[in-house]
Amino acid sequence: MKFKNFPRPFSPLFALFCRLTLAIIFFYAGIEKIINPRDFAIAIYNYQLLPDCAINLSAIFLPWLEVFTALCLVFGIYLRGASLISALLFLIFATVLTVSLARGLDISCGCFGGSSGNITWFYLVRDLSLCCMSVFVLIYDRGWRYFFA
Amino acid sequence: MTKKNLPQKLYPAFREGIIILAVALFVAPFFNSLRSNGIPLFGFSSAVLIKEQQAKIPEITLSEAYSLYRKDKVIFIDARDPLSYADSHITGAINIYPDEASLHASSLKIKADQGFIFITYCDGPQCPLSKETAHALILRGIPTVKILVNGWGIWLKAGYPVFKGKK
Repeated sequence: MKFKNFPRPFSPLFALFCRLTLAIIFFYAGIEKIINPRDFAIAIYNYQLLPDCAINLSAIFLPWLEVFTALCLVFGIYLRGASLISALLFLIFATVLTVSLARGLDISCGCFGGSSGNITWFYLVRDLSLCCMSVFVLIYDRGWRYFFA
Repeated sequence: MTKKNLPQKLYPAFREGIIILAVALFVAPFFNSLRSNGIPLFGFSSAVLIKEQQAKIPEITLSEAYSLYRKDKVIFIDARDPLSYADSHITGAINIYPDEASLHASSLKIKADQGFIFITYCDGPQCPLSKETAHALILRGIPTVKILVNGWGIWLKAGYPVFKGKK
């Protein structure tokens, strides 16, 4: 293996690993929230950032966005769009987490539906790691064709 | 081949992202309107939620609880941690920690429709778990929930049926 070519043989494979990991996380998170939309609405409300009129709408829409993003990531359809959405979702959540932690809120994360653990700085680190993975997929992933063509 | 700059590279990603957003935006409300436990699109009210959470849950006395238990009209809900539950619990009780209420909501609703009353209990007069589980169940649409304050202690003291797990 030539190290000067390091990004080329390594990056598509690692991007595939990142892509499938993100897909599993998004799919699981989305399905858990779709099953109990009311719990997720309460989790969103607890962050105290959205007005009442936007809470249910977000609780209905976000899980489906996660599921479709997961499906696109798995099947390699609209891959760049899916990885961009993934990165933006993690970035938005990182901002929300930072604000909530700075305000000293002791609330459920709501990451995987209503019965998730309470937010900590660890969640922020995890979220930013996943955001980096999404950006990596956006830049380096070449889809299934790269492996099977 | 000319090298694309960053905005040119990102343009297809934004276009694809908008398509995914649009599909989710179309499917989400459609599916929500079809399902039985869907929520109204704009109907969230923090005032109602706070009122629900502050609503006083009726308590039940030990004699009333035991009488219903003998008539097989009640389902006891042990709100203590799973280890304490596994060690011993009221015979026939199910273990629902406050966080797990959503997992049991649909099966309990069926039981509620059959006329069952749910009694939550935990250990100690100040124990908050029975109240938290009861609140969580009421929030999920289980109407007939009552609390047996210090339930485990007084049930044990009265010598009523208890299931003892393997040590």
